[in-house]
Amino acid sequence: MANPMHLGLQDAMSPLMEELLYFHDHTLMIIFLISMFVLYTISVLLLTSLYHTNATDVQEMEMIWTILPALILITIALPSLRTLYLMDETTNPCLTIKVIGHQWYWTYEYTDFSQLEFDSYMLPTQDLPQGHFRLLEVDHRMIVPTSSSTRTLITAEDVLHSWAVPSLGIKMDAVPGRLNQTSLTSPNPGVFYGQCSEICGANHSFMPIVVEAVPMQHFQNWLKTNS
Amino acid sequence: METEDKEDVKESFKILGILDVQKVPCARESILYGSLGSLVAGTGYFLATSRVKRSFDFGVGGFILTTLGYWFYCRYNYAKLRIQQRIIQEGMKNKIIYEGTQFDPVIKEKNNQSGN
Repeated sequence: MANPMHLGLQDAMSPLMEELLYFHDHTLMIIFLISMFVLYTISVLLLTSLYHTNATDVQEMEMIWTILPALILITIALPSLRTLYLMDETTNPCLTIKVIGHQWYWTYEYTDFSQLEFDSYMLPTQDLPQGHFRLLEVDHRMIVPTSSSTRTLITAEDVLHSWAVPSLGIKMDAVPGRLNQTSLTSPNPGVFYGQCSEICGANHSFMPIVVEAVPMQHFQNWLKTNS
Repeated sequence: METEDKEDVKESFKILGILDVQKVPCARESILYGSLGSLVAGTGYFLATSRVKRSFDFGVGGFILTTLGYWFYCRYNYAKLRIQQRIIQEGMKNKIIYEGTQFDPVIKEKNNQSGN
């Protein structure tokens, strides 16, 4: 999850997020080097006392500064497209969960095995137990089994919302009257936090998402207990 | 355990607060080799020509080219390694699931041999 003053991406907890992190590292290194080159060039231009006012025939340089950026863009685009199509790959999910956004809470419906439905409200700061995270904890978490592909169908009841869990690499808009589908897989058990990512009114910042991945046996016990 | 975690946190070095050189695969080696390449290119040019400013240009250029070159080479090999790791992981998982069942390749092979 995020730390105070956290600037980069969160640690990956799903294979998709690993691929996104991988692509991010690759692109970031290229960007750093280009920025370093530009900074150095600007500083040299500012600090030099020499100047050439009659530069009319610089075709070689023009060729370099056309072809080189094109090659750099290709080296960025190819992994980008690979990751993009990887995100759209269809899996064979073992479970379907419906996520419905309201002002200002989420509803989770598990209708595959039993008619289980519950609302997930943010825990107010005054009710927060010691050591829990402010503005991130909820009263009822979304429980999913580990190492199992889960299909989530996301929609909204009233206005636009967005269901986002950064460490799983998921962000999907919740649009009223529309079902958006995304796939969720976590190889490891854990608790993953997210927040609504589409402005939806006064309490937009106070409708967090908590996904808890548990082993299949625990998931089955939880289903039996709650249905 | 706590002291080990604290030491890990202290050692983490992030360029511009984003690129964690310790955690990102190939980043540390790329920066180190890039620095070495920069030093070699810049110093070599200066020793050959005694031109200070142009040596700095070569130094920066050497850093960029060496870092980028090693970065692509190392990431390509790392990607190949990850694919192999995934194949091995999948194989181990399948072995655990199918061991002793009719789908176990070892049992299938024995059955084929006994059939032949």
